[in-house]
Amino acid sequence: MSRGNSELDRLREGRTELENHYIDELASGNLNRRDFLRRGSMIGMSTPLLGAILAACGSSSKSTSAAGGSTTSSGPVTKGGTLRIGAVAPAAAVNPLTVSDAGGLLMLNQTGEFLIFDSNLKLELQPMLALSWSPNTDGSVWTFKLRPNVTFHNGAAMTADDVVYTFQQLSDPKNASNALSAFVGVLTPSGVQKVDAMTVAFHLEAPNGNFPYLVSSDNYNAIIVPKGTDFTKWQSTFVGTGAFKLGKYTQGAGASFVPNPNYWGAKALLDSTTFNFYMSQAPLILALQGNSVDVIAQFTPAGAAAILNSPSYKIISLPSANHRELSMRNDIAPFTDPRVRQAVAYTLDRVGAVAALLSGKGSVANDYPFGPRFKSTDTSVPQRAQNISMAKQLLAAAGHPSGFSTTLKTEIYQEIPQLAQVIVEDAAKAGIKISPTIETQTLYYGKSTFGNSDWLDGTMSLVDYGDRGVPNVYLTAPLTSAGTWNAARFHNKTYDNLVKQYVAALDLATQKTIAGKIQNLLLQETPVVYPYWIDGLTASTPNVNGLNPTSIAQLYLNTAYKSA
Amino acid sequence: MVRFILKRLGFALITLWILSVIVFLLGQVLPSDPGRSILGPLAAPSAVRALDHQLGVDKPILTQYWHWISNFPGTSNQYQAPIGPILTSALGRSLKLAIFAFIIVVPLGIFGGVVSALNAGNPVDRTISVVGQTLLTVPEFVSGIVLLVVFAVALGWLPVTATAPPGSGFFTQLKYLILPVIPLVMILFGYIARMARVGTIEALDSDYARTATLKGLPRGVMIRRHVLRNSLLPTITVIATQTGYLIGGLVVVEVLFRYQGIGSLIYNAATQHDIPMLEACVLTIGVVYMLVTLFADILFSLLNPRIRLKAAE
Repeated sequence: MSRGNSELDRLREGRTELENHYIDELASGNLNRRDFLRRGSMIGMSTPLLGAILAACGSSSKSTSAAGGSTTSSGPVTKGGTLRIGAVAPAAAVNPLTVSDAGGLLMLNQTGEFLIFDSNLKLELQPMLALSWSPNTDGSVWTFKLRPNVTFHNGAAMTADDVVYTFQQLSDPKNASNALSAFVGVLTPSGVQKVDAMTVAFHLEAPNGNFPYLVSSDNYNAIIVPKGTDFTKWQSTFVGTGAFKLGKYTQGAGASFVPNPNYWGAKALLDSTTFNFYMSQAPLILALQGNSVDVIAQFTPAGAAAILNSPSYKIISLPSANHRELSMRNDIAPFTDPRVRQAVAYTLDRVGAVAALLSGKGSVANDYPFGPRFKSTDTSVPQRAQNISMAKQLLAAAGHPSGFSTTLKTEIYQEIPQLAQVIVEDAAKAGIKISPTIETQTLYYGKSTFGNSDWLDGTMSLVDYGDRGVPNVYLTAPLTSAGTWNAARFHNKTYDNLVKQYVAALDLATQKTIAGKIQNLLLQETPVVYPYWIDGLTASTPNVNGLNPTSIAQLYLNTAYKSA
Repeated sequence: MVRFILKRLGFALITLWILSVIVFLLGQVLPSDPGRSILGPLAAPSAVRALDHQLGVDKPILTQYWHWISNFPGTSNQYQAPIGPILTSALGRSLKLAIFAFIIVVPLGIFGGVVSALNAGNPVDRTISVVGQTLLTVPEFVSGIVLLVVFAVALGWLPVTATAPPGSGFFTQLKYLILPVIPLVMILFGYIARMARVGTIEALDSDYARTATLKGLPRGVMIRRHVLRNSLLPTITVIATQTGYLIGGLVVVEVLFRYQGIGSLIYNAATQHDIPMLEACVLTIGVVYMLVTLFADILFSLLNPRIRLKAAE
């Protein structure tokens, strides 16, 4: 894939069908440069965007159209320079074992690499430090062949010993490992075994068809570190295998990185990168507007209208599984009746919420944790839309013709307080009176265990879930009978069995079939309402190219450059 | 005077110890634990327990307190790094911002207050008072954002951040501090001008001012030699009491202008339940506050012979 094609793919993200049609016409030569500019601007495409598309088409068509004597100028790739990135400050030490926040995981991926890269742009897994991977017949053992000739920044060669050490540390219940939330019940330290110097086998607790995602960039703690690494001291070296190595890291203030001359892949184009840390999104956006940074690593639509609506900035919008869950206690009346839960779901105006709260940077969800991010989603299941009369009918049938009163607990986080207000107002249209309590995250999550957490104990509870490459966590922890985050107290044996089958399924067709059954069952039961999926957003000035972000706030800069 | 200073320092040490105990105990009742704060709400309980054990926060309170006091300033739970260097650089930045703000606002406030007092009751007085009180009520996050949007984003005259690039010279650093200083000046101007005004009016009404006028001293000399010296006493107290705010209370300004001072360190330490860092920051501010109030007392006694004589007794 040439740089131009990859850039063009990035520019296509979030464009309308008509805009993409014009891009196709330009790329195929059916539209010339002038006509593309005219038609593009007519349908509202900004000048910087049109210029970027022309540049991308020019460079991508160079190799194929040179023989045809195309005069389209190629977008020049400029080497050198420093890229300034604005990011939210890491909330704690940059320790690969313990990092759990956006600022911290962004730092990890600057020098660290994973066995596999989960590309949000392509929606596929791509080899990184593993060249290939394969399961045994039932998916209980996964074998990874490692990339040869990879060295760490300290000069040591990367081998199976390093991979085994990394994953044994990450999966050890005695360690303070944030990755345990993904590995509990899936992988134990003894299950990570060296086959030979460049091969590692993972023997799982149970068959798992999506295990590669758990060792991919999706599991952001899982960067490969040298055997024997003291994780608590990692932030003094940032030793990894990536295209950049540490220049300087200053706690709370920022970091700089320089190219790794011994990188196994294409060398970085920039001379250096500088990260400036900010404590919240508002000054971050002002920094981009004030030309203090070239890139905002990740931001949310709430409070970002100034750059979202401006043609002066490039916005990369990635499909993401980042979403909100409105759980209803299935063991507390009136939510013991599925018709009441369905009624709540029917009151919600999801389309309006996406437009108002996300500035359109997202898509409506359908009361199950399958969405556009996942290939296994059965797209034939009909979308649930706002239907107040249906909600009233369901309430009447359930014995609540005049509605009822209840409470909702939620957290102060991004647009969630506003979403809570939307839920309250929409529910009131069907006679459901919800009294919301909006708390700090510390208070809301409490100890994150049943009986000690407003999140898990609230009659209704509205919480955020971050992006993941596969829906396994969303299907298990909040919805299975033994789920540790089952705020809805949903207990359904049929569902539990379906999820077990889904997790174990190795091929996509089987996953899709089971996904359809799960989707229909959850629509019928509606233990949880899923309002929308939120896109991952990255912004830059127009002269920045080649950014490769993920929707969990990672940002790869191997191919990044600033055009003149 | 030496005895007076030693006595004050002795009281300061006792106060700081009591402060450390209060902060430590308050830290224990915050509804959070450090392991959960670092690993996030969705972390496995076993990982949280392991981290809490690693950090030593699962030990008895007295053991934790003794460990902290015997290793002062210790290691930050949150950053897993020695507190000393982080705190020192943050204190340096906070002092820089505070001193810059003082250099602008103190003369400006005193001048405004004296002019207001000399024109008491007329439009000049009313204008200065109303402007001062109005500026006082504008929160830093409002004035800060307006200043950023106008002068940094729209006009591009000043940087959008308060942190100058590494190795910047004195004047470059000043340029970066101009915008964050303005909201502080706006807030403090009202206080200082008001106190200076009241003090000046009282001094102007005093017997000694009347005597000085009657013995034929020119008005300017009378104000300089007799009125200002006495009218500034309450103003000095106000300035001293604002030190704590300027050193450790600028969370909003520091967040808005990306300035890593003690204010943002305290905020982070409190939200992340990083008690050693919180303790170290609070005690540092306490020390600065006490030194400034001690300095103010000395200045007070130098300006007021009655206090000087009382201290000498």
